[in-house]
Amino acid sequence: MNTVMSNTTLTKERVGRQITSSIAMTVILVTFSMLFASLLLGFTVFRLTSDVWPPMGFERVDLFLPTISTILIAISSFTFWKYEKLFLAVNKERKLWLGFTMALGFSFMVMQAMLWSDLHSKGIYVQDGIFPSIIFSFTWTHAAHVVVAWFLLFYLVPTLKEGISVEKLENRVFNIGKFWHFLGVVWLIMYITIFLF
Amino acid sequence: MAFYEQHIHDAPKTFLSKYIFSYDHKVIGKQFLWYGILFLGIGGMMALMIRWTLAFPGQPFPVIGNFLFPSTGGVVPPDTYAMLFTMHGTIMIFYAITPILIGAFGNYLIPLMIGARDMAFPLLNMLSFHIAVASGVLLLAGLFTPLGAAAGGWTSYPTLSTLIGSPGVGQTLWTLAIFVLGVSSTMGAINYITTIITLRAPGMGYFDMPLSVWGLGLTAILNAIFLPVLGAGCLLLVFDRVFGTAFFLAGAAATSGTGDPILFQHVFWIFGHPEVYILILPAWGIVSDLLSFFARKPAFGAKATALSMTTITILSTIVYGHHMYTTQMSPLLTQSFMTLTMTISIPSAIFFANWLGTIWKGSIRFHSPMLFSLGVVFVFGLGGLTGLYLATVTTDLYLHDTYFVVGHFHYTMAASVLLGGFAAIYFWMPKMFGTMMNEFWAKVHFWITMLGLNGIFMGMMVVGYAGMHRRLYNPFVYEFMERMIPINTFVTWSAITMGLSQIIFVINFVHAVFFKKEKASANPWEVGTLEWTIPSPSPHYNFKEIPVVKCGPHEYGNPNLTGDRDFQYQTEELV
Repeated sequence: MNTVMSNTTLTKERVGRQITSSIAMTVILVTFSMLFASLLLGFTVFRLTSDVWPPMGFERVDLFLPTISTILIAISSFTFWKYEKLFLAVNKERKLWLGFTMALGFSFMVMQAMLWSDLHSKGIYVQDGIFPSIIFSFTWTHAAHVVVAWFLLFYLVPTLKEGISVEKLENRVFNIGKFWHFLGVVWLIMYITIFLF
Repeated sequence: MAFYEQHIHDAPKTFLSKYIFSYDHKVIGKQFLWYGILFLGIGGMMALMIRWTLAFPGQPFPVIGNFLFPSTGGVVPPDTYAMLFTMHGTIMIFYAITPILIGAFGNYLIPLMIGARDMAFPLLNMLSFHIAVASGVLLLAGLFTPLGAAAGGWTSYPTLSTLIGSPGVGQTLWTLAIFVLGVSSTMGAINYITTIITLRAPGMGYFDMPLSVWGLGLTAILNAIFLPVLGAGCLLLVFDRVFGTAFFLAGAAATSGTGDPILFQHVFWIFGHPEVYILILPAWGIVSDLLSFFARKPAFGAKATALSMTTITILSTIVYGHHMYTTQMSPLLTQSFMTLTMTISIPSAIFFANWLGTIWKGSIRFHSPMLFSLGVVFVFGLGGLTGLYLATVTTDLYLHDTYFVVGHFHYTMAASVLLGGFAAIYFWMPKMFGTMMNEFWAKVHFWITMLGLNGIFMGMMVVGYAGMHRRLYNPFVYEFMERMIPINTFVTWSAITMGLSQIIFVINFVHAVFFKKEKASANPWEVGTLEWTIPSPSPHYNFKEIPVVKCGPHEYGNPNLTGDRDFQYQTEELV
């Protein structure tokens, strides 16, 4: 079969599968959004019912590490986007950009681990009250999703081979990409709500 | 038109690929059916133990009592009583009704009724069942921990469910089990929604789908949106219990640095109110179809029924506060929630009137599925109307947490859904297993169940109205409740009768599945929806040729019918 043909033509079948896969992914992202929205609802309640924030004389979390995390995850979204473009064009450089994304995802996790150990070194532990509870639990939950998404990136390694059929692999790339960008957006919202304000 | 073509795969050969790790939506549906029936039995036994304690306080539970509670000589101990009602509620809602109506019939019916060869994502479907099994194991494991299973009620309110109220591992396992089950149901929901949107047969518009598919689809939407909310609540509860966070510990955040137990109630009911519609919507859809099939008449106002079910789905998301009138909510808020809740009566009345319109002047065939469907009409009517007293703030302040509530939600969630589930099992039995169940014993089963149900739940409403609170181990230590022992005894005898009559069903079912020689015909009920155009039991590929839909699902007695039958298949054209 002529791979060039299959990579460029949009048959009815191919579009149908794309739409099906994107409907399912939309539902999945709605469910994850509801999960994080519920957590943020909890945060909002505690934040609004407390006269001072952070309560109990806690100091705000130093913004240095979370800011670096935000920058890393933002760039990783960009590198994934670049990889996706090059994958559709069956360009050889796609290897590089997927590699960047993996490296950035890994460094994001390192930053998170450093944040937790930094808090511990300042004597702030998860059981010390509602403020550390929120900081730790929310970042844990998000980090757990990032770890899963990071392993999902390895599921994209077959897309780096020579002579692939874009049609067969495109939905995998689109879906994992959407999840990766979604986690970036969630982190940005968490950065603004629980760290900045 | 289906969005893409589903190819016919070879039939699986080995035992494992055929019955355990099957990708086939029909096998997965049957797996869920057995799973649900198993848990229905466990939950039912727990219900009988609860009822026994309320009718005969201090007397040993007959037959198995001595084996289960040796330390008390067979009497249900108070702490076990709390575990029993907690596990009864949890099992019945999440592990019996959900698997039977949504897991079994959702999986089985959606592809067949819309003319597809399988679900959109068969692997996801298989995983959904195996994760549900893992969750069931987690839940039951709680029963074998040193301090016993969860005992904070099925709602699991903190502080009953935090380490202060329940220090045992059982509550942690309960919370994890619900979380894992949520993942399983969400995976199912993703499949259902995608399948309904993308795999309908050519010619099948949304209003050509049978109402069962409407009910199941709307349920899937609610599941996908609201189960994660419960998931978040469970996650934070697990963090509270395992890592020592302070989300649901009582106290003010500013002064003691602790959280808010009421927050869990909000999160729980944001999920919990849609959940009651998650349970009832499939039953509504199935009953709407069956009433039309057996009255030999088109479903009256089928479009209006579908749209009012959709309206209820939307409204159900913004009324959850009516579960929390007694939590010091501001009167402005309680009144808003009351008004919104009352609004649900409008669409409910529309489709209820449509049910009556469907059977009005029909040439009704009183087969067992029809009897069960009519039973649903009766008990759902009663259950729905008693809901008005609980939606009204003034009356709810008195009725809150009494047996009136228990009677109400059992009428709507237990009686209606159970009868709807039985109707579905009797009706789709020939398509699922290729045999018919014995009609005579089905009718005996119906009448005993129907009378038993009403004895139980009507009795509960009466004692509740008289002031008996739920979840009390022995209410009769209070003087004003002493006189309620006889009516409680009546309720218990009704429960025992109804419980025993389920043996009739189990024997009938097992006999039909495994031992019956006589095969059912392809269309024993003379119904025109797509699943009846193929042989019974349906082949593994469902449809050899994907059907082309030319008319609606309820064409009965239409003067424009082609052929000499009083119905026609959805693949046939009207004149």
